[in-house]
Amino acid sequence: MRKWTKTQWVGVLLSCILMGVTLFSMLILVWPGEKEKEPYQLIFIPKTIDPLNGFWTSLIDGAKLGAEEMGAEIEVYGANSEEDIDEQIALIRSCIEKKPDALLIAPADYSRTTEALREVKESGIKLILLDSTIDQNIADAVVNTDNYQAGKELGEHTRRLLDEDSVIGIVAHVQGTSTATEREAGIRDGLGKYENQIAEVVFCNSSYKKAYALTKEMLLKYPDMNMLIGTNEYSSIGAARAVCDMGLTNQIQMVGFDNSIEEIQYLEAGVFQAIILQKPFNMGYLGVEQAINVITNREVEHNLDSGSKLITRANMYEEENQRLLYPFSGQ
Amino acid sequence: MERKAIFTKLFGRFKSIQSTMMISFSALMVIAVLIFLLIALNFTSQTIYENSNNYTSQIVRQVNYDIDAYIEYMENISSVMAKSGDMSLYLLEEDQSESERKEQKKRILTQFNTIMESRGDIYNIAAVAENGRYIMNGGEEDLTPYIDIRNLDWYQAAMNSKTGIAVSSSHVQNAVLSSYKWVITLSRVLVNNRTGEKEGLFFVDLNYSAISDLCNNNSIGNKGYIFVLDEKGNIIYHPKQQLMYGGLRKEHIDEIMSCKEDSLTVKDGTELKLYTLSRSEKTGWTVVGAAYTSDLLKNNKQAQMLYTLAAVVLILAVLLISNLLSREITKPLRQLTESMSMVEKGQFDCANVDVTMENEIGSLGKSYNLMTERIHTLMKQNIYEQRQKRKSELKALQAQINPHFLYNTLDSIIWMSEAERNDEVVEMTAALAKLLRQSISNDHELVELGQEMEYVKNYLTIQKMRYQDKLESVIEIAPEVRYVKIVKLILQPIVENAIYHGIKYKDSKGTVRICAYPEGESVYIAVEDDGIGMDEETLTHIFDEKKKEHKQNGVGVPNVQKRLKLYYGEKYGITYESKIGVGTRAVIRIPRQGDQEHEKMD
Repeated sequence: MRKWTKTQWVGVLLSCILMGVTLFSMLILVWPGEKEKEPYQLIFIPKTIDPLNGFWTSLIDGAKLGAEEMGAEIEVYGANSEEDIDEQIALIRSCIEKKPDALLIAPADYSRTTEALREVKESGIKLILLDSTIDQNIADAVVNTDNYQAGKELGEHTRRLLDEDSVIGIVAHVQGTSTATEREAGIRDGLGKYENQIAEVVFCNSSYKKAYALTKEMLLKYPDMNMLIGTNEYSSIGAARAVCDMGLTNQIQMVGFDNSIEEIQYLEAGVFQAIILQKPFNMGYLGVEQAINVITNREVEHNLDSGSKLITRANMYEEENQRLLYPFSGQ
Repeated sequence: MERKAIFTKLFGRFKSIQSTMMISFSALMVIAVLIFLLIALNFTSQTIYENSNNYTSQIVRQVNYDIDAYIEYMENISSVMAKSGDMSLYLLEEDQSESERKEQKKRILTQFNTIMESRGDIYNIAAVAENGRYIMNGGEEDLTPYIDIRNLDWYQAAMNSKTGIAVSSSHVQNAVLSSYKWVITLSRVLVNNRTGEKEGLFFVDLNYSAISDLCNNNSIGNKGYIFVLDEKGNIIYHPKQQLMYGGLRKEHIDEIMSCKEDSLTVKDGTELKLYTLSRSEKTGWTVVGAAYTSDLLKNNKQAQMLYTLAAVVLILAVLLISNLLSREITKPLRQLTESMSMVEKGQFDCANVDVTMENEIGSLGKSYNLMTERIHTLMKQNIYEQRQKRKSELKALQAQINPHFLYNTLDSIIWMSEAERNDEVVEMTAALAKLLRQSISNDHELVELGQEMEYVKNYLTIQKMRYQDKLESVIEIAPEVRYVKIVKLILQPIVENAIYHGIKYKDSKGTVRICAYPEGESVYIAVEDDGIGMDEETLTHIFDEKKKEHKQNGVGVPNVQKRLKLYYGEKYGITYESKIGVGTRAVIRIPRQGDQEHEKMD
């Protein structure tokens, strides 16, 4: 064989490089533009999947839309009732077996779900807490309403409606949940000097019926009571129903949390003087966004406030508040 | 001059014209292809961008037109309803009997029903009078008692409008009891047919399905979408309306509202977002098409890849072809170079170059051929002349027969004939005659070894007679070398040497022994004597012509050596070995086919 000259070597080398480039570009051309990423698997366990509850349905809607926007798949499991903590713990455990990329959960109890959630964390699943927190700081991110602040705002507004003779009753939701504790603390601080006039705090375990019954009981027990404060949708509506049924709407002023159509109607009718409106849709959406951020190792704000707003009869028809009051997604 | 220097610098590096040509061709072509590629890429990306821009603006205009048409259709419905006599009578007239009112209500509700059933996109259809009367939907629903409908924006808008018609932005319909739907309200004043005064309002609440259908049916790229703003920049429709209301998603509404052009590009995070606008005269709304430029240019990417690929293939082909071409063009040059290097080595046989071209290189080849031929002839001539010269030199060398030998022999003959030794005289004279004949016959330079031996024999005969009993000789010649050709008059001087310098000084009888034998491709002729031998010094100077002692011999050993080397080459010649008191041995080496080369040369 003839010995190759330097020129020929250079030629061969150049050809090789060019061939390589050609093949490479062909590959890129043939390859699907962007390789379809396996969507992230998310599981969301709210406190309840009660379809009548405006707060949770809105939160679930937000989470679902967020997942759709960010190209993730989300499954939602939940107990029928907020107080069914055992059911939620069972759901958490079963979630571990499904091995999602992240679990979004609104823990139904401040301490009882902790152990199961620790297991979730230990099995490598990212943990995002929505709405409520737990007694240990094991979550990768938390998205919730600043409940203390919201409670305080409500308390401060309520204070203007009170005088020295007022008797206050609080219908709280589930004892031991972070939301109930923080809101109560906020309300108490907001009430300031009237805090001592809180006659009783009852816990309705997030049940309309129980709230209704407890309110009735409380009103009978304290006939002078003229201010009722509900700490979530169940307690507020349950209490409002009781007040309406007892025909005490003129005697008793009410403030509460959350917004369902029924609650808005009560506000419109003047049963409620003010409600604190959370942004459950945003909370769900942001929760998913945080989950994706955590999964993809992007920087996250550990505690994200999804925001809240005090709505009164006077400002409920303002356009900005209408957007918050009436979720568009429901239509 | 400077340009020349640059060129020299540029092309001087390359070792061959071929690579110079190839690389400059390739470089030029690659640059050309790259420039072309750049232009093509730029042009396509512009075209695609413009095309998609046009396409988007067409779509947006179409959607705007469709929305206008839709609103107009609704206005027509409202017009029909608002101007109907029943409506005016039922809501505005006081002096009606109960049965008349019932009839009117029934007819109105039937009309409402017909409209509601045929149009799925109407939530509410209602008429309200300033006096507080109203009629709505199926007649079962009520207006909310908490709100005075006359204070609502859309009510005011229609009342204050010159045309009596208003289309609201999207809002929650609070006027209807226990219903909180997001709607667009189209309202039209009711004019009392009798008084001509604006005394009420007819309105239709439209849900989003119609508008969202109009917007969603047209897609802009993969990620593009269409949304609608009212004249104040509020969102009327957006595919992600909830996200917009929740503040989770933003559009650059301020920029859009202040934009006078048909389109604007806004940086949205890391991406460029292209808004295409179309404003409606009728509703005052702005239909906005939003598209991501990266999305629009996705096709462009493919086109770019295709172009690049084509360019790469082209460049590859250019390289290959330029390689082939340059090789082909420089082939005669390379042949010329090869031939020249052959000529440098002295090989003229294949020096002729094929001339296939008519161009400069062709004529160069022709001239070169002429030149080499010429050189070749000159060289041949030179060689011939050299040989002639050498031949004459050889002849000159041969001619020198030792005259002393002749005198001595003749003296011996005289001396013998005086002593009347006739037989010996005859023998010696005969031998001398043969010797002389052979040496004089100048016809051939070469003789057969046999003949040469004969010559030596004659010589020895004479010498033996002269030295009487002092000299003996033995001649052995292998039969296969008998006819080997040898330069003539070679042996005799060696033998003469052996006698004069070896045996002559020996006291006893001496023997000269000559034997010829082949070995390989050579023939060796050994001349041995058992004379007194030579010391080292004499041995080393034996081929030295200038040593006086040897001069007497005339045709001496150096002469023989010179002739042998001249004729056969350096490999051949005589070698001597000797030992004081033992004898001397001279070996002549000649090629076995020594004559061949010589003949060829002739």
